Amino acid sequence: MDFNLALHLGLPETILAVSSLLILVFGAFRGDKGMISVSALCGVALIAAAFAAAFGHQGAAFGGSFIVDGVALFAKVAIYIAAVFIIVLGQGYFDRVGAGRFELPILILLAALGMSLMVSAGDLISLYVGLELQSLALYVLAAFRRDDAKSSEAGLKYFVLGALSSGLLLYGASLVYGFAGSMNFHDIAQSATTNLNVGLIFGLVFVICGLAFKVSAAPFHMWTPDVYEGAPTPIVAFFAGAPKFAAMVLFARVLQTGFAAQADQWRQVVLVLAVLSFVIGALGGLMQKDIKRLLAYSSIANMGYALLAIAAGAVGIPALLIFFVLYMVDTLGLFTVQMALSRKGEPVTRIDSLAGLSKTNMPMTIVLTILCLSVLGMPPFSGFWAKYFVFGAAITSGLWQFAAAGLVASVVAAFYYLRILKLMWFDVPAGDMDKSPLETRWIAYAAAAFSFPVVIVFLVYVYPLAQSAAQGFGS
Amino acid sequence: MTVIAIAFYLLALVTLASGLMVITAKNPVHSVLYLILAFFSSAGLFILLGAEFLAMLLVVVYVGAVAVLFLFVVMMLDVDFVKLRQGFANYLPIGLVVGLVLMGELVAISIAVATKGAAAGNQPLVATAAEPNIKMIGHALYSTYIYLFEAAGFVLLVAMVGAIVLTLRTRPNVKRQDIFSQVTRRRKDAVEIVPVKTGEGISE
Amino acid sequence: MDNFWASGWGWTIITVGETLAVIMGVMVSLAFLLWGDRKVWAGVQMRKGPNVVGPFGLMQSFADFFKFLFKEVIIPAGADKAIFLLAPLLTFVIAFLAWAVIPFAPGWVVMNINVGILYLLGISSLGVYGIIMGGWASNSKYPFLGGLRSAAQMVSYEVSIGFIIVTVILLTGSMNLSDIVTHQGGGIWNWNVFGGGGQLGLGIIKLPVMFGMMVMFYISALAETNRPPFDLPDAESELVAGYQVEYSSTPYLLFMIGEYANIVLMCAMISILFFGGWEFPVPLPLAHDGLPYILISLLTFIVKVVFWFLMFAIAKAIVPRYRYDQLMRLGWKVFLPLSLVAVIIIAGYRVYGGAL
Repeated sequence: MDFNLALHLGLPETILAVSSLLILVFGAFRGDKGMISVSALCGVALIAAAFAAAFGHQGAAFGGSFIVDGVALFAKVAIYIAAVFIIVLGQGYFDRVGAGRFELPILILLAALGMSLMVSAGDLISLYVGLELQSLALYVLAAFRRDDAKSSEAGLKYFVLGALSSGLLLYGASLVYGFAGSMNFHDIAQSATTNLNVGLIFGLVFVICGLAFKVSAAPFHMWTPDVYEGAPTPIVAFFAGAPKFAAMVLFARVLQTGFAAQADQWRQVVLVLAVLSFVIGALGGLMQKDIKRLLAYSSIANMGYALLAIAAGAVGIPALLIFFVLYMVDTLGLFTVQMALSRKGEPVTRIDSLAGLSKTNMPMTIVLTILCLSVLGMPPFSGFWAKYFVFGAAITSGLWQFAAAGLVASVVAAFYYLRILKLMWFDVPAGDMDKSPLETRWIAYAAAAFSFPVVIVFLVYVYPLAQSAAQGFGS
Repeated sequence: MTVIAIAFYLLALVTLASGLMVITAKNPVHSVLYLILAFFSSAGLFILLGAEFLAMLLVVVYVGAVAVLFLFVVMMLDVDFVKLRQGFANYLPIGLVVGLVLMGELVAISIAVATKGAAAGNQPLVATAAEPNIKMIGHALYSTYIYLFEAAGFVLLVAMVGAIVLTLRTRPNVKRQDIFSQVTRRRKDAVEIVPVKTGEGISE
Repeated sequence: MDNFWASGWGWTIITVGETLAVIMGVMVSLAFLLWGDRKVWAGVQMRKGPNVVGPFGLMQSFADFFKFLFKEVIIPAGADKAIFLLAPLLTFVIAFLAWAVIPFAPGWVVMNINVGILYLLGISSLGVYGIIMGGWASNSKYPFLGGLRSAAQMVSYEVSIGFIIVTVILLTGSMNLSDIVTHQGGGIWNWNVFGGGGQLGLGIIKLPVMFGMMVMFYISALAETNRPPFDLPDAESELVAGYQVEYSSTPYLLFMIGEYANIVLMCAMISILFFGGWEFPVPLPLAHDGLPYILISLLTFIVKVVFWFLMFAIAKAIVPRYRYDQLMRLGWKVFLPLSLVAVIIIAGYRVYGGAL
């Protein structure tokens, strides 16, 4: 194997890995006072990696355990850019609450590294190593406000359940390896077509369960609301987007590369997960009083739509990519709005507290309105397009019943977004809002702007890109 | 019966017995000690397989470092094991079922490997005198598996950073010994010699 | 008959014989080394030291031995009896296990295994169990504190010892102790403490690095064997006698023998790793497989080990005890980074500077 070629393919990862080590040393010498410069350096590293990925070459390296294809590159660019925004938000947030440590941006960087290993995973070991790298960094990030009981609780819950899911995943992977005789997805596919075994399917189910945990698809979603409620908000904004994107791409790769011939078997499992996710997401959200818990249920429901795209097979892949990019922007915007709103220094966490927002903070009200309409799927906002592509893909591959079920679920879910709109526009304000911090304001405006006018331009350029990226995926 | 066979049965028996004792011993410290014994005798099994490097790693890493810290923690904890065992009987049936299912699957894999050859298709490399297994492991780790090896290193790095982030606290009002400043302190910085005339004293 | 000695059973009998010979040899020399230790200590404090039993008090250790043997074994009421008795036994056995791979002279080694160094590292890391088990099983405060201290201390210094050993492995390209010794053959300048040969040109960099590693190994060995100035586990001014407080009679004797066997083992390791093991300081005009050469080699090795034992004894006599946080600081903040840097330098030399 040509090591130089391998480094060439893995240039984004190499940039991230090397810069994380250097920045860690820099930060250790500067201490927590140097957090802002550490954040800036991490941001630069991520942007450099994003460029490297955007203009990266495609191929496979390290004996097939590292795959760089269109989907991987597409996902990497999206993940790195999301991580940059999280670093900006995290810098401001932790500065304000006085819990800033220089390790925060470095952990985000390392989590992004783990995610990019995940989307490039070509065999079971690299799948697991990437997943663990990403999850470990996220466990720590969830508990980052260690003096805050809720944050510690979130970190601990996430860690324990994440460890359990890793155990499931590993057990499944060992079964798959034992019956297929290889770690590599292509070899597994070959072995599965020539010599399909019950044990292999068993292993596959365990792997699916483990991954479903990571993307918080029902019925493996129970950690999501608690973790979202407790963890620091910028970190939750990260949780909701990038790691799930990475895990979904991994999901698609395992199923469509490793078990392409067994599509009929795994499709049932994935469809069950999808339907459960959007039903539970929609119904569970109705009861919530906390904004972050509500968004947790919303993300569970959205994972259901993403799983529907995976179940649709090859046609679903471009839909999955587009869906996730649009979804990531929307969640980023929603969580940023939550961060932007505070009343007398206390962050606004309850939905009731949003009452009469239009009288106190008009710009944020408009932003929140646009984002809510977008998430509930109102055309012409971005959320509509996300669902449009996913349901389109599902209908193309003959899953129209499930697309219809998804549509019903999103109508139910629309109720709780409409409730927010009603509260904001027509209710009596509970008191004045504080002035929003600068970076949250601008990121919220940007997300809202993306959600409506920009998304049209974006889709014109990026949809063909996603389609060409998905070419040849899984073969 | 050869010496090797006797050694194998002895080590295997000790491993199994101590493994059993780990979960049945009443005293947690005894459990950890049995765990160490289990590690140690499995290292012996590795040697019988000709994998002396793995055996030594098992001893150095698990027995020498991990288990010591484990023992350390268990000794410090005051765990009430009577309380911990209260639900034992209630959970026993479901535990048994899960355990049996997992074991059945592992047996199924072993049978699949042994008969049809799935994973058995990958013939293990055999160490020779010129190419001892340390060299072979090193070569495999640093060429074929370099990517996974380095990635695993990053996982450990994250674990370390995380442990430090979550536990290290710098207390503002605690004085710490600064050996450098102690050692570099000179007499003229600390002591002043004042010529005092007899009977006058020093005015402060 | 030839067949028998080549068979498994014959091999077993030979190995058992060799093992017994080594154990007896080490035990007997321990008796005299202990006497030497006390004499040095006494000399520094301007006392006479043991001088009653036998000529110059040479038989003192044997007298002590029998005294310990004939006393009553006392087991504290709240002690965990099995572990309490197992702990000294474990210390004793493990201390002698390590001697299996020590080459005394060309070909004079019980087991010439390829991972000899790792074996030594593994066995010496097991040594902590005897102490920690003894400390816990005594069911008493001071022994427990001593056991904990010892566990933390030994684990900490093992890390830097490991890295120091890696530099030696990098220099000699082998983990086999006999190979490491023969690699240092041909004269004093080939010893690892001076860089293991090839010091001309770029290789000069190895000289200060390896000398530093030798010093650090010596200090780490003091800490690893709980010798003064790092005898925190049994610091008599703080913990009475640490983990040994409740021990008496034969169990105590086993602890003591184990401890001293470990110290001598460390002396043997430092001789082998840095001072050429059995190799004579200048090349000898003798056939390498003849008996004279082997005997001279054995003598050379013994002299080196005794020299290092005297260094241990002198350190005990003249250096004041460290405080616990200072000990930890030295291990983690000084030795660990320095040995890591040394590993990088030596590895860099091996990649860019030259072959073996």
